[in-house]
Amino acid sequence: MTDVALERDLAVQGRVILALAQRALRVQLRRAQFLLPSFLLPLLLLAVVASGTSAAQQLPGFPSTGSYVGFVVSGTIMQGTLLAGLMAGIAIAGDIEGGFFDRLLSAPVHRSSIVLGRVLGTAAIGVAQAVLFLAVAFAIGADFTGGAVGILLTILLAALSASAAAGLGAALALRTGSLSLMQNLFPFVFVLLFTAPAFFPRALLSPVLEKISVVNPLSYVVEGMRAALFDLPALGSVPGGFAAGIGSVVLTSSIAVWAMRSRAET
Amino acid sequence: MQPDATSTQAELGDHAIVVKGLERIYPGGLRAVDGVDIVVDSGEIYGFLGPNGAGKSTTVRILTTLLRPTGGSATVAGFDVLHEAPQVRRAIGVALQEAALDPLMTGRELLQLQGALHGLKRAEAKLRGADLLERVDLVDAGDRLLGTYSGGMRRRLDLAMALVHRPSVLFLDEPTTGLDPVSRSALWREVKALNDEGTTVFLTTQYLEEAEQLADRVGIIDHGRIVAEGTPQELGRLVGEPGLYVKLLDETQTEKARDLLAVHGAVSERREGGLTIRTALGARAIAPIVRTLDDAQIEVDAVEVEEPTLDDVFLAVTGRPAEETGGDQT
Repeated sequence: MTDVALERDLAVQGRVILALAQRALRVQLRRAQFLLPSFLLPLLLLAVVASGTSAAQQLPGFPSTGSYVGFVVSGTIMQGTLLAGLMAGIAIAGDIEGGFFDRLLSAPVHRSSIVLGRVLGTAAIGVAQAVLFLAVAFAIGADFTGGAVGILLTILLAALSASAAAGLGAALALRTGSLSLMQNLFPFVFVLLFTAPAFFPRALLSPVLEKISVVNPLSYVVEGMRAALFDLPALGSVPGGFAAGIGSVVLTSSIAVWAMRSRAET
Repeated sequence: MQPDATSTQAELGDHAIVVKGLERIYPGGLRAVDGVDIVVDSGEIYGFLGPNGAGKSTTVRILTTLLRPTGGSATVAGFDVLHEAPQVRRAIGVALQEAALDPLMTGRELLQLQGALHGLKRAEAKLRGADLLERVDLVDAGDRLLGTYSGGMRRRLDLAMALVHRPSVLFLDEPTTGLDPVSRSALWREVKALNDEGTTVFLTTQYLEEAEQLADRVGIIDHGRIVAEGTPQELGRLVGEPGLYVKLLDETQTEKARDLLAVHGAVSERREGGLTIRTALGARAIAPIVRTLDDAQIEVDAVEVEEPTLDDVFLAVTGRPAEETGGDQT
């Protein structure tokens, strides 16, 4: 491909990704019954945590973040983005079962653009969730000592987390093509969440969960958020969070593209 | 899979679609397409006819690059479906079975999305979408969610989406299944108009009437193989002699009439009443038949010439009537 042709192809694929992201967002917003739980359930958990379990902060080894809500809001964001990723998978499975996906596949677009369109749309939802959850946490007493930069970094990590979750949802949907299976994966979100230090620091997880958390990339993302929000390197590593987030997006999106290609073989 | 360079030009010529020994065996061993050969000329409407499970949809999915063949070769618009899939996708328009449209989008949004998928810039896609809404008479419904569209409206929009990038070859997979007669006629008119503008149309259908109305040539597929191919007229000749339908005023005389008319050809009784006489004379046998009945004082209510239909062809080549077929879509 010549440089000019390559440039033109990249521009076209860019437009395709944006158009598909816009469609993903638009349809998710119109399917409020699916989207709302990914905003409301994490908020509910945040409210419960804020009102009932703040004594956890007194446990030895619990880091000092001002308020427990401030500590736990990263987990809330993680929960929301995982749910958004699951919704993305459900939407793709719906497209497959309804036949709309064939329309996408019969168009002259790169398979990766189809996945990236969905990932980008979900990243936008992740950003909206992060902004809302941080605002609510702030309203009920969280004090983010990392300032605006910390908040911005956290929002970017939320976008990466949502993207990785969307890639995973897409991979599962494309591999199975089953809407009902995707709808039954809800508990899986909590497995991912509780095998990462979403609500408690790693030091306070049970030995088994702590071992699993080492290989769960979400651990590094959620700790990166905390480190950014409170500007405390002891809580985690921001670059580590970005590395884990970007790595997860690349890995899950690649698996999704592979799953899409293998659909044509069967 | 890719045809060699020397044969390609000579073989493709004015052919929009060339299929040779196409096969598709699904995991588990189901041979859905079993050595299909088809050549469709540019500007032609090719009717691909067969019952559910005959292999129509699998063939279309291979030709539209949605499914890989397990054997044989196929080129569409001069491009190999396996090795030049992106070029094929740029050249074709596809309206698949049951109008797969997102019910949570509006007609206008879907057309613009389709435009973007085919590389149009936002402004171009917007303009093209508006033109196509007008063409398929959906301007008023353009900003309504698809969930509120009738079956006919969805099919029209589906067709419009397939036309966004002005394809040279259009695949229509059972485009009128489930439509009422008025919607069906409207879609037929649009398909004919597109063909008049030079678009090659590959049309799969279960409706024999649809193939007769639209297709220049028809291929009949059964159990994954082409069992008959030709113009509707050529296929009609496969059935044999034309028939004359004779309706009597007094049906109690049917038995007597049947015996008398045996001298003119093979006579069969119709379930709904009346007799069919197969004779090589066709319409020229009307006068002698009426005279025979008149001499026996049997009054005739009506006489009609029955041209063989694709129903008859289907029965002749598959051994079973079209309405008795069924099964999974393959």
